[in-house]
Amino acid sequence: MSLEKKDEYDRRGWMETKELSPVEKGYLMTLMWLDKRLRVVDYLELLEDLYYKVNMQMPKSHTEQYNLDNKFWYWYPLYALGSFSTIAYVVAAISGALLGFYYSPAAAAASGDPTVAYESIAFIMTDLNFGYMLRSIHRWSAQVMVAAVFLHMLRVYFTGAYKEPRELNWIIGIVLISLTMVFGYSGYLLPWDQLAFWAGQIGVEMSLSIPLAGEWVAQLLFGGFTLTQATLQRMYILHVFFLPFITTALIAVHIGIVWMQGIAEPH
Amino acid sequence: MSDSDDAPDEPEGRGVRADGTGIVPPDDETPTWRERKERSQGLARLTYEYFERARREDQDLRMESDYVERDVLAFPAWPHEMIRNLALTSFFVGMIIFLSATLPPHIGPPADSSTTPAIILPDWYLYWSFGLLKLGPLNPELSLLGGQKLMADRTYGVLANLVVVGFIAIVPFLNKGSARRPVEQPFWASVGVFGVIFAFTISVLSVKNLVPIDPDMLFTLTFLLPFVGGFITYGVLKSMREGYMFELNRRYYRLRPPK
Repeated sequence: MSLEKKDEYDRRGWMETKELSPVEKGYLMTLMWLDKRLRVVDYLELLEDLYYKVNMQMPKSHTEQYNLDNKFWYWYPLYALGSFSTIAYVVAAISGALLGFYYSPAAAAASGDPTVAYESIAFIMTDLNFGYMLRSIHRWSAQVMVAAVFLHMLRVYFTGAYKEPRELNWIIGIVLISLTMVFGYSGYLLPWDQLAFWAGQIGVEMSLSIPLAGEWVAQLLFGGFTLTQATLQRMYILHVFFLPFITTALIAVHIGIVWMQGIAEPH
Repeated sequence: MSDSDDAPDEPEGRGVRADGTGIVPPDDETPTWRERKERSQGLARLTYEYFERARREDQDLRMESDYVERDVLAFPAWPHEMIRNLALTSFFVGMIIFLSATLPPHIGPPADSSTTPAIILPDWYLYWSFGLLKLGPLNPELSLLGGQKLMADRTYGVLANLVVVGFIAIVPFLNKGSARRPVEQPFWASVGVFGVIFAFTISVLSVKNLVPIDPDMLFTLTFLLPFVGGFITYGVLKSMREGYMFELNRRYYRLRPPK
């Protein structure tokens, strides 16, 4: 008596009756392996069901909808600005992650001696192979992203693409541009050089001047009423952890809504 | 008791039902979906009624429209659209790499809390915010408060930031309708031009010693130029409207010539 459990449905026998190429065989084996463990077939049935009920189709691209195939639509670059800003965001994210391997937000006394943060940036710029290029790419893609986002906002504004039913997307866009600027601001403070320090000083004064919650906001964002190590730490965590999650999620929602609603078109 | 020798796909006497029942033998009181809906109350009932009405409206719209959805032989996603997007992406990323290689970023001397540098500026996209912080001269001294200001200058600046962003956020709720080009919405297009020029002038204002004009004159210009631009835009668009609307409706005019 072998201990091998007898296959209830004799799948192997079934597979042998068909003549399968090795690729097909490998595919089927993988599928059955996954199905046994994850009930993949249920999900496929669900999708099929949805397809016939909802008549799920790929949304038509511009050229399909508006019959633009043989025409050169010279406004197209303006409509590509949204995608462009997402590409720049991805480039900034990748280069930022790589920079994070070499940067450390530490020892932020502000006495005129270079701190560890400053030294790490100097190391990146001078000693690290292609370090200057990496930092340069990060800064430039960030600038380009802000510019693209702003121009995208202008395009949406002047083509009236924020009107019903796209108001929610407009508001999400406003939040996104504000988040982008906060991204830029927090990144600006990270090198802890003179420009960064005094820009941070202005930020603290701005938060302190908020009428009722001023001190709390200053404490939350800047870790105190003066610029210390706590400030640098908070800016780092904002820039590297907090903001990327929120921004990525919001970008996904923003693009998802555009996918569902379609692009507003000048008629 | 149900016969447990039956194979799972041969239930005795009952087919598979679409409303989710039929798997467990019902007792006498299991309500059908319809019954559940009919006995619902309050908000749930409202939801069902709204949904049924909305589906009805959608179906009516579908029957009315003469749009025929076909399989379209059009610009294919693969490989055409994919390659086009890839080409554009490569161009943009290449541009970023080129800029990075030729114009590396700045790093100044280390932070020193005892020395205030001559130039304190954020990145360029925050100049507008920086400029809005300098609206001190606009903060009115209210005679009601005995010549005092209602709030400190710097609070005024922060508030100005919030007001500007808030206004931009509510534009969709102010400008409704179906206009899709600037020509079709001359007022809001000129508001937009006002905004863009204002963003530019106030950014210029925020950089000290950038423009060699007397500071009071600069301050006045910051608020004057946007209005000038807005009015010019409005005039131009309004005068373009006549010809534009005619072009759009040309076919219609042929059928029904205006008197």
